[in-house]
Amino acid sequence: MSRPEPSVSTPAPLGGVGLGLRWDFLEEVVDGELLPLDFFEVSPENYMRRGGYYPEQLERLQERYPLITHGLTLSIGARDEPDAAYLRELKSEIERTKSPFHSDHLCFSSAGPRSLHELLPLQQSRENLRRVGERARRMSDILGVPFALENITYYAHPGRAEMSELEFLSGVLDASGAGLLLDVNNVYVNALNHGFDARAFIAALDLSRVVELHVAGHTRKASGLVLDTHGAPVADPVLELLGFTLSLTGPRPVLLERDHDIPALSELIRELQTLRDIYDSAIGSYHAARA
Amino acid sequence: MQQGLEGVFAQLVLGPALSRPELLSLCEQHGVSSADAAALGESAERLQVYRDLVRSNLREAIQLSIPRSIARLGALFDEYFDRFLQERGPRTHYLRDVTPELLQFCAPLWATDARVPSYLPELALHESLHIEVSALPALPRGHVAAPLALEQGVALGAALKLVHYRHAVHELPDAEDDRSLPEARAVSLLVYRSPEHEVRYLELSPLALGIIERLLSGDSLGGAVQGAAAAAGAALTEAVLSGAAKLLADLAERGVVWGPASGPAP
Repeated sequence: MSRPEPSVSTPAPLGGVGLGLRWDFLEEVVDGELLPLDFFEVSPENYMRRGGYYPEQLERLQERYPLITHGLTLSIGARDEPDAAYLRELKSEIERTKSPFHSDHLCFSSAGPRSLHELLPLQQSRENLRRVGERARRMSDILGVPFALENITYYAHPGRAEMSELEFLSGVLDASGAGLLLDVNNVYVNALNHGFDARAFIAALDLSRVVELHVAGHTRKASGLVLDTHGAPVADPVLELLGFTLSLTGPRPVLLERDHDIPALSELIRELQTLRDIYDSAIGSYHAARA
Repeated sequence: MQQGLEGVFAQLVLGPALSRPELLSLCEQHGVSSADAAALGESAERLQVYRDLVRSNLREAIQLSIPRSIARLGALFDEYFDRFLQERGPRTHYLRDVTPELLQFCAPLWATDARVPSYLPELALHESLHIEVSALPALPRGHVAAPLALEQGVALGAALKLVHYRHAVHELPDAEDDRSLPEARAVSLLVYRSPEHEVRYLELSPLALGIIERLLSGDSLGGAVQGAAAAAGAALTEAVLSGAAKLLADLAERGVVWGPASGPAP
């Protein structure tokens, strides 16, 4: 099957470890000593259509570290087309940050005019695959940079599934030519909640499409359901899965996400060092296997 | 199918908690096939997780913006939060804009609800202005570096708002557990962002308000002072002119006045 390619050229390969930018430590990273990390990832919605302190700080941060944009509210799977005004603002923000690509989630987060501010699962159906694939294919041209989709966690499938998550995700990527932001924690959490083998899931993906990897912490509710909270350190099994993934993909930027119960920056930097050790070891294996 | 599912999810996360039969009935209303509805029904418990996530995201954003108003409203706030979600729901991509949407929805309802203190809508607006003004987009400075001139307009900082209250809610203490009442008196405030990105508040006299309103609408400096004095029923005395000069000097010191507008006043 031939795959449509985005008309915007693929960015130079990135690698290394980075951190999701949060306002809790913004001043420290803008004014403090240079940190041992390779990039920051930013949620453009926090800086779009606004002036004042935060956009100014972001500009200063950009002088120190590369930035990658990762959106939250594109709602690419919603029935309605993405909001044109939002896309225009987003494009400007991507240009301002000089992000080499932009990503958002394979989900819907709106219902008609209502914005629900949560990543809601799409029905894994042929109709959604075709519709979202076609829409994602246009995103690179609209945004002016390569576009990637992130696999989300889902706690329940909405209705009957016509195909597996793996088939749906792979199908949308094939139909769109979009990159894959592979969230390793999301694969792990979904594997626990829906009963599949996380390694087999990752190995079956077209890993040449991976442009970035995410890891984060999760928690288990009393009911047994595992939630992707971004509120705890990355669990050991997810770290192992990250190493496994990197040994297959080769160098890709790895991002640590932490949105709740954010610890001191020094603790996040220590966690990043763990990720870097895993990264170096896995990339060593990757190259050794190809030597 | 996606349209039907969006309708179901919107009601599921924004509306009251649903039992399984209610979920199935909702699916039917939205044209979701019986097979898909049955599959959703099997997941009814897990679907409630989305309700919790959406509501906690939105409530947290509003809590950050108007904590004192929420504390004073108590359980009444939750009643209106629920109504806002169910009857309108957020429309914005930006979490910081959810509070203004909520307040716009609540304004006519609070005005006729005797349980809501008359000053409360003003306190909520006042609190929410902090985030709104801190985030107002900065426009390019449309001025030249030169002294102000009576025949020209005045370039004012873009990150500002004029607001009018019937209560001095801006004088209430910051503590969330404070329950003192604001003085009932007419207040006009200039809320602006300083060059250091601090949100600040300046209470305006009727004459100062008149001058700033006219400058914002593009009047020349001379026209603004004259018009404001006439509207206040004051003659253009030395004291009025001196007061206007002091006001402009103060506003320049605060970074609100940038200089003469680049073009002549209309």
